[in-house]
This record gives sequence, structure tokens and C-alpha cells, in this order.
Amino acid sequence: MDTPSQPDSLLSRGSHLSDPSQAYTFHTDLDNLSGGTTETALGASISSIHKISTLNLRHTVDLRAITYGGTVDENLVCPICRCPFVDPVLTDCDHVFCRACIDDALSHGELCPVDRLPLSQATIARAPKMVFNQLDALKAKCPCCGNIFARAILENHLEKYCLEAMVRCPGSLSEQGCTQVVKRRLSTQQCLHYPAQCPDCYETLEQIEMESHRQTLCRDRTKLCDYCEVEILRCEEIEHKAECPDVLQICKWAQYGCQHESKRRDLYLHADDCHFKSIGPMAEMLKVEISSLRDDVRNLTETNQLQERRIKFLESGQRASDRPMDLMDLSLASMPEAASTDSLDSGHDYLLSLLETQQSRLSHLSAELSDFQGKNTMMLFNETLPIKNELAELRSTQQVTCMHVRWLMRFRMQENQRRFGVSPGLASTGGPDGGNGFGSDITLSRRLSDSSRDVITKL
Amino acid sequence: MASSQKRITKELAEVLGNPPEGIAVNLVDEGNVHNWNIVMDGPEGSPYEGGKFKLLLVLPTDYPFKPPKISFKTRIWHPNVTFDEHGSMCIGILKPEAWKPSSKIMSVLTATQNLLAEPVPDDAVETSAAEKFKNDRPLFNREAREYTRKYAK
Repeated sequence: MDTPSQPDSLLSRGSHLSDPSQAYTFHTDLDNLSGGTTETALGASISSIHKISTLNLRHTVDLRAITYGGTVDENLVCPICRCPFVDPVLTDCDHVFCRACIDDALSHGELCPVDRLPLSQATIARAPKMVFNQLDALKAKCPCCGNIFARAILENHLEKYCLEAMVRCPGSLSEQGCTQVVKRRLSTQQCLHYPAQCPDCYETLEQIEMESHRQTLCRDRTKLCDYCEVEILRCEEIEHKAECPDVLQICKWAQYGCQHESKRRDLYLHADDCHFKSIGPMAEMLKVEISSLRDDVRNLTETNQLQERRIKFLESGQRASDRPMDLMDLSLASMPEAASTDSLDSGHDYLLSLLETQQSRLSHLSAELSDFQGKNTMMLFNETLPIKNELAELRSTQQVTCMHVRWLMRFRMQENQRRFGVSPGLASTGGPDGGNGFGSDITLSRRLSDSSRDVITKL
Repeated sequence: MASSQKRITKELAEVLGNPPEGIAVNLVDEGNVHNWNIVMDGPEGSPYEGGKFKLLLVLPTDYPFKPPKISFKTRIWHPNVTFDEHGSMCIGILKPEAWKPSSKIMSVLTATQNLLAEPVPDDAVETSAAEKFKNDRPLFNREAREYTRKYAK
């Protein structure tokens, strides 16, 4: 495969900072193709990017020509080339330079470019790994697509992923064996390196250049506007038509009945004479007004419906609480009437009304409960009061009786003592008199028992 | 060659993007970054105050390994600048034995500005000016002001 001329021209162009496209070069040698093929064998099934990796070219990025994102730490900038280090080396006087820069400097004199101390190639060593790591992490702008990547992966990005980077034309894989390069963006299509005719100027050129040709280069890319006869770009015809002063336009009050139609540039003349010029704005205003009123009415209807529903449920709740409460009633209460369910348009409203009914019932129940409680307390109080009084009366009576009994007992004992104290022998031996005494005792006890019986009955 | 151009371009961008006060820079020829036109305002408080001095900065092809050359295109009465059409200036950091590739053009420009404000008579190239500067400062200042008015307006 011959090396095409295009990459050569890119290589030969001087590296100028203002043009970032020259910050990288790519190489179309045969070795790379074989390398790419093995890569395809490995990753063909993984992604479409890999599928076209046979087309990849080797890219070399000039790290001094790329743009860096943000400000680069001054400590990472070579004092000679004023760029972030490329392949940094450390001198024995502790200064870091790019390998190429210090080689250049030593060829002019064996002095350190910073402190002018003697320096020789032998005392120069590779910079510490840390410096390399910091440099690899620098944010570099891809010279093709402009995205920011770590500097270390930039070359890999250009070689394998960047959509704006050059790759071999897909035609190189087919029988024609196209040797051109295309942007990766276009490499998923067929080979576009075939002659085609420009539809404007009938010039024959490669299809791949057609787009840019029609935009900028084509001599016949312009055409005369059908209305204003101004030259316009063919690809911008639609945009022009939207603002062309000679396009016919209808009056802005056409929807209210104006039949006028004139060129865009003359429309303002008609605006003054239009018969609809006073009606139009009014109609417009009324339209707005009506639509806002309609909105209001709709809102009010909705609110009204909601209120009605609420009233209905409150009423039904009232009725339910008037009825005597029993189990049947409670079970009914847990479910709003079937009739009202029809009017409920959503489950939400249904649940809401259910809740309202239950709430009103609950409040009724609690009111009744407190009522009952009050009544019960009063009743209990009223009933226990006379009982208490009677109890107190009985207690006092019993005490009086007790005193009586005690007095009688003492009286009786004194009587007995007096009697038996005169003839104590009789009393000890017993006799016919004893029977007498006993008999009187019996009457006394009978009397006692009578009085005690009285006490008992009184109690 | 290419690497020197890259460095010069970088330094030019730096000076243009953030020019030191009282210094304006532009290229003599847009296609050549080695020759710079510089317009420097006379420092305040010096006899050169109010003057605008044109300078030419020439960067050698092996810059930064060789120092740049700077010369006054406007005549100036100064101990360190020859009072002739060459306007050669003698400044420490630009001497070949003192030049360091790590020095920047920005620092050369500010050093020149400082030299205008404070001449160094011991390192003089215009000896008569140096003599007057050392022995009769008022006379020197008067003459310098006069020449500034004459050439640098």
C-alpha cells in the first residue's frame, strides 16, 4: 500500500501554535495495519469502535504544541521551553528540564541554564516518578475534538477513540483498496472517496468533500430568492423564506375576517387601512377574557360540587346520630349510602366523605357518653344520700339502747347482791326460796328478753 | 529553531495577554516572532517621565540559549545607553556571561524599565552622562528632561 500524499503534507506543515490541528501527526505505515488487525481479532465483538480498529493509524502528539486546560503549575514548566515537561530529567544541582531542552542547552555550553553551575550529560538522571505522574495527570485538550483528557492518555484517545481524528478510509478493507484517510466520525460509513456531482454547480468531486463544498466553496451554491431576487445560500433557503420581505403574507386579523394579502414589506401599509384594525384588538381581548371566564366557571363548578357533597355527608351523619345506636346502625355507618356513592367521581372523594361521616358520628358518641356519665353520677348520689342518713340514725338509736341495757344490767346485779348479800347461805345452799328467786329471775330475764327483742326489732 | 520559536510564541502570548504597566509590545513583522517593537513610558519620578521610548528587541535564533538584544530607537540621555543612532543598552542580565536560558523576556522588559528609573553609573556606556549623573545630578536631570521633550514626545 502506498503512503498517500495527504499525511505527508500534514507532516511537513510547520508547527505553529495558533493552529491546534498541527499539534499531532499520524503515520500510515504497513506495520500499523498488521498491528491493527490483531487488535480487531481480539475485540471485534466488544464494540463498533473496535470493529473499525483496523482503520486506526498511529498518532504522535507534540506535547509542546497542545493546549492545556486551566493553569499549569509553574513547577511543572520547563524553564527552557516554557512548556510542561516532556520526558523530564533531573540535574545534580536539583533542576528539572525536558530531555531535549537540556541536550540543546548543553550543546551551547556545559552550564546549568538556571544557576550557571557546571553541568555535564553524565550527571543528568531521569526525573523522579512523582514528576512523571504529575505530568501524566495534566489536563490536555485534544487537538482534534477539543475535549479535555489526562495528558498520558491523549495519544491513545487519538489513536482509538477521537471521532475527529484521522483513520484509514473504510474502503481500504474492500477490493478497491482505498488509500485515503478520513475522520473516524465518517469511518463507519462506506468509502466516500468516489466521484459525485454537486447538484448546484455540476462539478464532479469526491463525495466526502461534498458537504463542505456546498457550504462554502461551490460557486453556484447561491440561488436567487423566488420572491425578493436576492442571492441566498441554497442550504439557507428555508430560513430566508421566513423573513424574506417579498413573501406574500396574510393580514394579522385574517382570522376575524380580513381578506387582505400583501408582501411582507407592505403589510404595515395595510395595517393602517385595515377595516378590522379596531375590531381586531377588541376581539383579541374578548377572546382572552372569555377563556379566563370559562376557566373561572369551571373552577367554581368544581368547588360547588365538592361543597354539596360535603353538606350531604354532614346531613347523613346527623341523621344517623339521631337514631338509637345499635350494632346495625354502626355497620351501616361504616359505609356511606349507595345513592351518594354514584355521585362521587373519585375514590379520593369517597374516602374523604367516609372520613367526614365517621368523624361526625364519633363526636356525637363522645357527647352522648359524657351526658350519660353526668346523669349516672347524679342518680347515684341522689339514691345513696337517704341511705346514709338512715344509717346514721340507726347508729345513734343502737347506742341509746346499749346504754339502757347496761343500766338495767347494773340495776339487776345490784338487786341480786342486795338480796343474796342479806342471806348469803341461802344463796349458796339453795332451797325453796331459791325457786322463788329463780322465778323472779325468770320474769326479769323475760322482761330483759322483751326489751332486748325490742332493740333487735328496732335495729 | 522550531523549539526557540515555540518558546518565543509562548512568551509573546504571555506579554500580550498580561502586559507590564507602561510597556506596549507588537511585532515588527507579523510573520517573524524574533523582532519585537516595544514602546516604554518613562518611569514616573524620573527625568524621563512623560516620554515614550521606542525600543527594538531582537531574539536570536538560538534563543533562549543566547540572550536577546535590546536597543533604544528613541534617543535617550542615560548613563547606560549610548547617545547615538544605535541606542545600545548595557544591562546586567543580558550580558552573555550572565544570561540564563531560564530568564524570561518579561523580566528583561521590567529590568529595562528599572534601569530608566535608576541608572547604574558604574556600568556606564555613555561616560559623559555617567559623570554628570554622579557629580551634578540637577544638571543631568535637566538635560535628560530636555532630551526627553525633544526626542521622546
